[in-house]
Amino acid sequence: MTLLASIVQASPTPVPVPGAGIFTSPFLLSLLIWVPVFIAVAIAVMPNPRGRYDVLMKQIAFFTMLGLMFILFIAYNQFENFLPTMQYEEKVPWLPAIGVTYHLGVDGPGLVMLMLSGLIGLASVLASLGVRERVRTYFSLLLLTQASVNGAIVARDMFVFVMFWAAAAVPLAVLILGWGGPRRTSAAWRLLGYWGLGTAALVVGVLALYTLAGGQTFDMDVLLKATLTPRNQVVISVAMIVAAATRLPLFPLHGWVRDVLAEAPVGVAVIVAGATTRLGAFLLLRTVIAAEPAAGHLLSPVLAALAAMTVGYAGLAALRATDVRHMAAYLAMVPGGITVLGLAAVSPLGIAGSVLSLFTGGLAAALIAGVCATLAERAQSRSLAVLSGLAPRMPNVAWLLIIAALALLGVPILASFTAEVMTFFGAFKNQPIGAFAVAVGLAVSAVAIATLLRRVLFASPNPDAPGVSDASLGETWFLGLLAGALLWVGMFPGGPKIPGTEFPLFDPGLLNQMTAGISDLASPYTPPTPGGVTP
Amino acid sequence: MRYFVLLPEALLVALAIVVMVAGRFGWLPATSRRWLPLAVSVLVLVALGVELWAGALVGTFFGGALVSDRFALFAKAAVLLTAAVAIATTDWTAEDSLFVGLAMPLLAAFGVMVAASSADLVGLWAGLEVAGAASVVMVALRRPDLSLRLLVAGGIASALVLVGLAFVYATTGNPNLSGIRAVIGNEAPALPLAIPVLLLLGGLAVRAGIAPFHVAGLQVGLGASPLGAGLIFGTAAVAAATVGIKLTAALVAIPDVYVPWVNVVSALAMVGGGAAALAVRSPRPRLAYLAVAQLGWVAAGVGTHFRSGIGGSLFLLGAFAVAATCGPALLGRAEGGEPAIHGFGTLRPLRAAGLALAMLSLAGAPPLAGFFGELAVAAALAQSGNYVLLGLGLLGSVLAIAAVVGTLRVLYIQSPLEESRRGAAAALPAVTALSTAGAVVFCIVIAGYGVFGNSIMGLADQGAEALGLR
Repeated sequence: MTLLASIVQASPTPVPVPGAGIFTSPFLLSLLIWVPVFIAVAIAVMPNPRGRYDVLMKQIAFFTMLGLMFILFIAYNQFENFLPTMQYEEKVPWLPAIGVTYHLGVDGPGLVMLMLSGLIGLASVLASLGVRERVRTYFSLLLLTQASVNGAIVARDMFVFVMFWAAAAVPLAVLILGWGGPRRTSAAWRLLGYWGLGTAALVVGVLALYTLAGGQTFDMDVLLKATLTPRNQVVISVAMIVAAATRLPLFPLHGWVRDVLAEAPVGVAVIVAGATTRLGAFLLLRTVIAAEPAAGHLLSPVLAALAAMTVGYAGLAALRATDVRHMAAYLAMVPGGITVLGLAAVSPLGIAGSVLSLFTGGLAAALIAGVCATLAERAQSRSLAVLSGLAPRMPNVAWLLIIAALALLGVPILASFTAEVMTFFGAFKNQPIGAFAVAVGLAVSAVAIATLLRRVLFASPNPDAPGVSDASLGETWFLGLLAGALLWVGMFPGGPKIPGTEFPLFDPGLLNQMTAGISDLASPYTPPTPGGVTP
Repeated sequence: MRYFVLLPEALLVALAIVVMVAGRFGWLPATSRRWLPLAVSVLVLVALGVELWAGALVGTFFGGALVSDRFALFAKAAVLLTAAVAIATTDWTAEDSLFVGLAMPLLAAFGVMVAASSADLVGLWAGLEVAGAASVVMVALRRPDLSLRLLVAGGIASALVLVGLAFVYATTGNPNLSGIRAVIGNEAPALPLAIPVLLLLGGLAVRAGIAPFHVAGLQVGLGASPLGAGLIFGTAAVAAATVGIKLTAALVAIPDVYVPWVNVVSALAMVGGGAAALAVRSPRPRLAYLAVAQLGWVAAGVGTHFRSGIGGSLFLLGAFAVAATCGPALLGRAEGGEPAIHGFGTLRPLRAAGLALAMLSLAGAPPLAGFFGELAVAAALAQSGNYVLLGLGLLGSVLAIAAVVGTLRVLYIQSPLEESRRGAAAALPAVTALSTAGAVVFCIVIAGYGVFGNSIMGLADQGAEALGLR
């Protein structure tokens, strides 16, 4: 426990990282948002007679994501984890009449989310290389989605945050409608309905906060530090929880997840499961936990209950699923529940576990959604009654499915192990009933995963099943990227060091970088005095 | 030099008369079809430039009948930009008359400009009627029966407005807006004043085509030419909204006489417009209902009866004017319902992009012009504590965005109709250099409205301040 607690403490002195300082830009975060937007517009207006430049467009999208990853890697390496403040800040007045500023910045949790978004974006483009129809439109929309996710992560103004949060829904809905499976229409409307409800709740919560804070500014530096009465904090927090629950998703606002993850094309399922949904937990962290301490403590049992219901429901629904992609969709809900459990702990260890779980949960959810979609595609069936004994015939996919299953369960060596241990250790102290319920739900999920592996991979082959073929390396390297990231962070959470020294190699360690700002988020809670002034 | 500020109005009227007379008497060569829209569009842009340069001068003209202030500057600049872009984006092969088609948007814009700079009740009414009459003429070119219907509906609306204006004049003894505000400031809200205000705003609602008074205008707009539909859904509604904003600003001291009514109408428009947009599939009715929904947001901002709310409404009205007027023009004929725009994104990519942005902006999707305006109004609603109306508005926006996604699917995902099945009703818009440039400029305006939001919203806020709001 002491060991675990010590790793969430920020490093007291900066450790020089080779390569730090090779590239600086005052607009580093803006580049992450606007480069994909400009490339998306450029792709959209590029002439493409009879799909002549389809390959070129795929290459442009891929190298754009690779370029973003490069920028992100620089940001990650140059991030100074001994500073608890926002970094790479950009602040320009935008709509001063209503107090909107174009304010961007990242702290440790934001950096973790950015790394996740970069990896998922790259994986989603790689997963989409097989798209044959309307390539121009597809990759434009995918890049717009990526831009909106990055924008929501780095936004430090609530107006800007709402704008990017809401902006992801339209391109994703069109992607599902255009390139999805047989039930794509239902999936797209469900996505719009639930996300629309969540966005409406978010807007109400943000505007209530804006009004209560004096109606002068949307800047998070002001809004999230405003002194509110516990009652107002609770009202705002409930709106934020509804918004987060529709996005993450949490039971009972999860109605879109099965259809969307099952019907979306592989690349879209990866970006939805891996990145856009994590914004829900990120919102909870930023607003309910970090900004509304009274409400955070008051509502933490509610959050724990939501986490437990989500994990339990996901496990049970996965057990009853008869479609492999439906099963993957339910299992992809599990990491979200664990992340929320860590937040419900409202303790340094739990929150640190949650932040790491944002990263590992996003990767694990994207991996299970992606591998099951690939499996269904290669096996020409989604039915669990048909898919049987595929391991000998699909060894690549089988290995990846096993890694995805292990990542969901949080076994050692994979990064999700560290995240889950920190989350549960933090939660068992403050939310013992919730943590126990989540653990039970996780056990049910383990049974579902075991059933999936036994039936699909290791049972006797089904002679009536359509012909199957293993996915080639080219078709699975996006899954390898996700699995590799889980393994890397699992093996080197503090980053690899030059042997015999404390000097990091090229990676300063995700666990080190994410701690910046967490101690502030998880500072001990002091109840407000009757006068409303916190001593 | 003092009257130089009125040059844009003079330019618009002169241009409209010259184009109509020259067309009527055949003074222009047959090749004028190629360059005349470009020339008119450029001249309107010149008028916009003059307005932005000279409109900063604050003053009164014609014995106080017209006023040049920040409100007038904002409204006039918005409507001039709208007229220029609408003329540029229009597919003139789909219009019934080039000359009348060019003149009527100019006259409608002139009507809005008169209403925006009017300082008394007569000017407001005159501006409203000019804008309405221009729409009637546009419709009459194609469907005289529908134009008669619009004329009758407009007549009823005018009667209501006139009765209301007469009662307000009788109650306050003053036709001047500042005078009315001064007198009203000492009055208590009373039923004798609330009833005429109700009639007045009812007439304006019919003129604006806002739900539940949208039936006449909407049906007429569906039968009009593309630009005619744009005038009805956009410019004529902007004229009514401009008059509504100025009148309510004069009555702001006694909000109880109009706020409940405005709130009910805006709630109906926001939710009803969004739901109706989702229920229909054809692109033009969908555009019309999206416009109704966004006009509901404008009304909601007016209902807050304080400066930031009306400033937000004005900011949104600018975005609405461009999107609602140019949207039908970008759509072109497309009278064959949804199949007419199947694969439009492949066949006419720039027009399709413009149409998509117009619809998304009217629905309030981020990060486009309508989103910034609606969120500005939403912030004002939250500050006034009207969370019910805010929630209804957000519901309407969610419905509207879902409706637009349906159209985006048709534009970009569906395969185009076979040429043999494409009748006249689904004919594709002609591609010209002007229409292409117009579509590009439209996209830049809608996407860049938020980018330049600092100065635009600043001007809108000053416009609200110029109306005497605090």
